[in-house]
Amino acid sequence: MKRAFSLPYSFVLMNWAAVVAFYYFVSGRKDVWFRGKLAHSHKSPRRMSH
Amino acid sequence: METVFWLSLVVVIYVYFGYPLLLSIACKVARRPVRKGDYEPSVTILIAAHNERDRIGRRIENCLWLDYPKKKLQILVSLDGPTDGTEFAVWKYASRGVEMVHSKAHIGKPAALNAGMRRARGQVVVFADARQTFSHNAIRRLVANLADPEVGGVCGELILLDETSSETKSDVGLYWKYEKWIRSMESEVHSLVGATGAIYAIRRELYSDLPEDTLLDDVVTPMRIVFAGKRVVFDAGAKAFDDVSCCPAAEFARKVRTLTGNYQLLRQMPKLLVPWSNPVFCQFLSHKLGRLLVPFLLIGLFVTNVFLWGGIYSWLLIAQCCWYFFAVAGHFVAIRNVVPPAVTVEEQRRAA
Repeated sequence: MKRAFSLPYSFVLMNWAAVVAFYYFVSGRKDVWFRGKLAHSHKSPRRMSH
Repeated sequence: METVFWLSLVVVIYVYFGYPLLLSIACKVARRPVRKGDYEPSVTILIAAHNERDRIGRRIENCLWLDYPKKKLQILVSLDGPTDGTEFAVWKYASRGVEMVHSKAHIGKPAALNAGMRRARGQVVVFADARQTFSHNAIRRLVANLADPEVGGVCGELILLDETSSETKSDVGLYWKYEKWIRSMESEVHSLVGATGAIYAIRRELYSDLPEDTLLDDVVTPMRIVFAGKRVVFDAGAKAFDDVSCCPAAEFARKVRTLTGNYQLLRQMPKLLVPWSNPVFCQFLSHKLGRLLVPFLLIGLFVTNVFLWGGIYSWLLIAQCCWYFFAVAGHFVAIRNVVPPAVTVEEQRRAA
């Protein structure tokens, strides 16, 4: 039953990641390279700034 | 409107179902088995690391334990400006033959790999991260594939473990299994479209320096090998182990980085989009480019469906609404069960 929710959630999240990635790419954000920074700020990617 | 709707639907279905189906047919009619053999070249294990003081010891111990002649094995750690004393943890292993390249500036992983490659002596270089560990026979399994002169690179299998140290059954694990299934078929037909950074090996002469801002060194290097006329194959027998991400949000952060790297790849290697220059053009188009397009197609699918009401379109819109409703519900389930992102599975295990 749990999977009925988690599967669509994971699918949508992964696709949303592609949209965020596109935004990062076109806006030329460099901090995406640094794994640590991204991993610690994943809750709110918008807060990431130079 | 209808054309956009059906085109979007067909492409989304093709990317997730049609392409694997085509690959499985191609595997049956155009399979190219790797001619594995007894091959024991000199090997360099290159570990690029930044701040890994707590993990590097376990990683080096794992490399020293591997089934491969010590005389033919160089273990090289390339440090990228550590600030937590990782270099002291590596120095402890100098007496056991472990070598280190230490850059005081934190430039990035590609720079660490470039510096490491200048010190590598092995005919074959195995790339590894500090976080994962290898199975006992991983190196032997990787190099056996390089007995085939057509093969320039080999990627091993990354197994994601849950808190009980068994292979995870989470959605991330399911997705990863699906990815590995596609990769194994791509390998049987020709080559992978990128490797797993946790475990892959190449012939040293095929490496060329990576631009310092490269996000996906484990895709750029294998693709360069494919462009050089060699194959990059997958061997599920060479295993690396890693802990699964603590929550979908952590996987999200990793995915954003990977997908941004895919966009960067298009800019760095535009000939990937040229069918007559790219030997794995169909795989690249279907696997990498398709995944980048799908989210935009899903938006198009939903928006056009709203305007197309009646008959089958009504049922399809209801199905889409249910899917996204379940996704939102899944979000609330996930945040109820969320594990603080800084706490890794390993840390939870230690705490227990």
